[in-house]
Amino acid sequence: MSVAPAIDRRRFVVTPGPHLRSGESTSAIMWWVNGSLAPAAAWGVAVFGLPALAVLAASIAGALGAEWIGMRMLGRRAALGDGSAFCTGLLLALTLPPLVPPWAALLGAAFAILLGKVIFGGLGYNLFNPALIGRAFMMASFPLAMTSGWAPPRPLALHGFDAVTTPTPLMALKEHGLDAATRLIAGPGGWAGLALGLRPGSIGEVSAVLVLAGAAVLVARRIIGLTIPLAVFAGTWAVTAFSGAAWIHLLGGGLWLGAFYMATDYVTSPMSRGGKLVFGLLIGALTGVIRLFGGYPEGICYAILIANALVPALDLWFRPRRVAIAGTPS
Amino acid sequence: MTVSTISIRTFGAGGIHPDPHKEATVGRPIETLPIPSEVRLPLSQHLGPPAVPVVKKGDIVRRGQKIAEAAEGGVPLHATISGKVKPIDKYPHPTLVTAPAIVIARAAGEGTEPLEFPDNPGWGVLQREALLERIREAGIVGLGGAAFPTWRKLTLPPGVTVDTLLVNGAECEPYLTSDYRLMLAEPVAIVHGAVLMARVLGVHSVVLGVESDKLDAAEVLEATLHQLAPTGVEARVQVVEARYPQGAERQLVAALTGRTVPPRALPSAVGVVVQNVATAAAVYQAVRYRRPLLDRIVTVTGPGIVEPRNVLAPIGTLLSDLVSFCGGAREETTRVVVGGPMMGRAVPRFDLPLIKGMNGLVLLTGRGPFEEGFGPCIHCGRCLEACPLGLEPDQVSLRVEAGHPLESAPFGAEECYECGSCTYVCPAARPLVQFMQVAKASLRRRTPGRSAA
Repeated sequence: MSVAPAIDRRRFVVTPGPHLRSGESTSAIMWWVNGSLAPAAAWGVAVFGLPALAVLAASIAGALGAEWIGMRMLGRRAALGDGSAFCTGLLLALTLPPLVPPWAALLGAAFAILLGKVIFGGLGYNLFNPALIGRAFMMASFPLAMTSGWAPPRPLALHGFDAVTTPTPLMALKEHGLDAATRLIAGPGGWAGLALGLRPGSIGEVSAVLVLAGAAVLVARRIIGLTIPLAVFAGTWAVTAFSGAAWIHLLGGGLWLGAFYMATDYVTSPMSRGGKLVFGLLIGALTGVIRLFGGYPEGICYAILIANALVPALDLWFRPRRVAIAGTPS
Repeated sequence: MTVSTISIRTFGAGGIHPDPHKEATVGRPIETLPIPSEVRLPLSQHLGPPAVPVVKKGDIVRRGQKIAEAAEGGVPLHATISGKVKPIDKYPHPTLVTAPAIVIARAAGEGTEPLEFPDNPGWGVLQREALLERIREAGIVGLGGAAFPTWRKLTLPPGVTVDTLLVNGAECEPYLTSDYRLMLAEPVAIVHGAVLMARVLGVHSVVLGVESDKLDAAEVLEATLHQLAPTGVEARVQVVEARYPQGAERQLVAALTGRTVPPRALPSAVGVVVQNVATAAAVYQAVRYRRPLLDRIVTVTGPGIVEPRNVLAPIGTLLSDLVSFCGGAREETTRVVVGGPMMGRAVPRFDLPLIKGMNGLVLLTGRGPFEEGFGPCIHCGRCLEACPLGLEPDQVSLRVEAGHPLESAPFGAEECYECGSCTYVCPAARPLVQFMQVAKASLRRRTPGRSAA
């Protein structure tokens, strides 16, 4: 510290107000999201081994590379450090089967960024969730790998991993009925095993507990709210309740990852509470409908993409109440 | 019953809770600046035409003497120190870049004794016109920052009647403590001033609103009310939640009366006039002693100042003198804000005068907003939650950015009073207030008689 002389002739920067800021930033939000997903990703690697690590690395690399190229094409500086492209790559990988070829993951992530985001104008302008665009692209382009790349989790079995594929609980439910799904779920560890991710599933969705823990951090930091996730669960429950397997639908598959991490993406979800409620209920209901009546055992991906298309309309229908017009007394 | 046991009122939607940053000066009593060697008194201290000088270069003036006559709708200007008038010329101005000012160099000796302002018996029974005349002649403007001539705010347009006077002691801006220290030091002046303004307006209901982080000030004011027991008015102190922008007129009216000021209207549209506590104290001085507005309390604070203080200084004091009195500016000072950090403006230099509406001088360190640029809107919705008026800064910003400011009309740009809450919370550091300003200016330039787009 030094004190300036009595007459201080310095010149100062004139910046527009307000001169105080909350300190929250886009990149901080993105890295909190990425960080909160780290435990689920690490657990995926722990139970599925090196193939899962390769898929994660390929997907993130594909996303970052595509962001760099795409921003160059738009004539803008690529903000790889803002964490948003990393987030897309990470989220995509977490929805993939662990045995999917890494090069397919790399292609999927690049597609996600280039045709899911950059083509709309980059961060903030995309209509659809980029990670799910990438996943939908992979479902269409590599259907075999995307539906048969499942493996039985083998905690910490990093060596001698056997590439025997196995159905997920939702696939068993779809193809062989409730008993088969229940048998699969009643595997090692019982219900605790299901919560901890000792059942076949995608890299990031096997452990509901870790997804929930990560989401809890985001809720506590007020980065995401609970309206959308709870509405998703309510919608899924409402549609699947009569099937007798609502609990499998609620606990299984990508519902948790989708509800807490995909459906809450700021850019592709409504801003008002009313819009969020309708959006979440729609996703949940569509997920149930697709799982029960559609061709896929899993439905959240397409449910979110369909609901994404309605977000501009939901934002127009559910607008903030203008205080001076509504005359809200305090 | 003390105020602390009374319920806390607040406004409805929106608002933010920034770090108050008041600890540096909240415990510091008001300290009087030694008479500076020079004051610069801009002829423009508020909107409207500048005041007209009645002194010339070389004149010896005494503190308290009128040196410029009021322009139409304005107020006169007084010498705030005794001394010799220097050439009347253009000088740097805190908001107008440069503007004509009367500069007085301190001088002592024969004919430089400050004017005295003795007690005027009978001040308590003056009628409306006489009160307004004393308030105008004293050069009083709104001291909460807006600096609108007080006599005009107390003169209602024909056909408008009000029933309530609100006295604003919210001081919701972070860092600032000048109103708080005034409430502790001059509660009698504030209460008397409030009653006098109520008499001018012909209202019986007076509510003094104080934020909940200043309960001791609220209690002092309430004790003063009990002790003075003013007749003819129903006056009380009401605690309001410490929440930004509680001190904005619309929010304070909502909190204290439950009434909603219509878009682009003044509080008088719902029967309310709002005056700041410092203005009330100045009105008392003007009416009882015919003492013009010569000094004001300014909080000199922020991480860039060596010794933060609440300073009573003559209007026209150079910011550099205020800074020196407070130990100087630290090397790491990068930005200088006059007013509060939320609604105040940054100035580039210290050789600027303290003007009537300036309640704070905040020296900040580190890189400022937008020096790093800003990012695209990520539609997080934080600005929608923060806006106290329920406007949509995100939508306005997207349209202005795309070059279509006129399309922002449905999203409320014209109603915005620029509290900055949206910009404070924006994670993309978007200059939302400035986008609102652009939209507002474009919409106001449109030819009248248009439909709301």
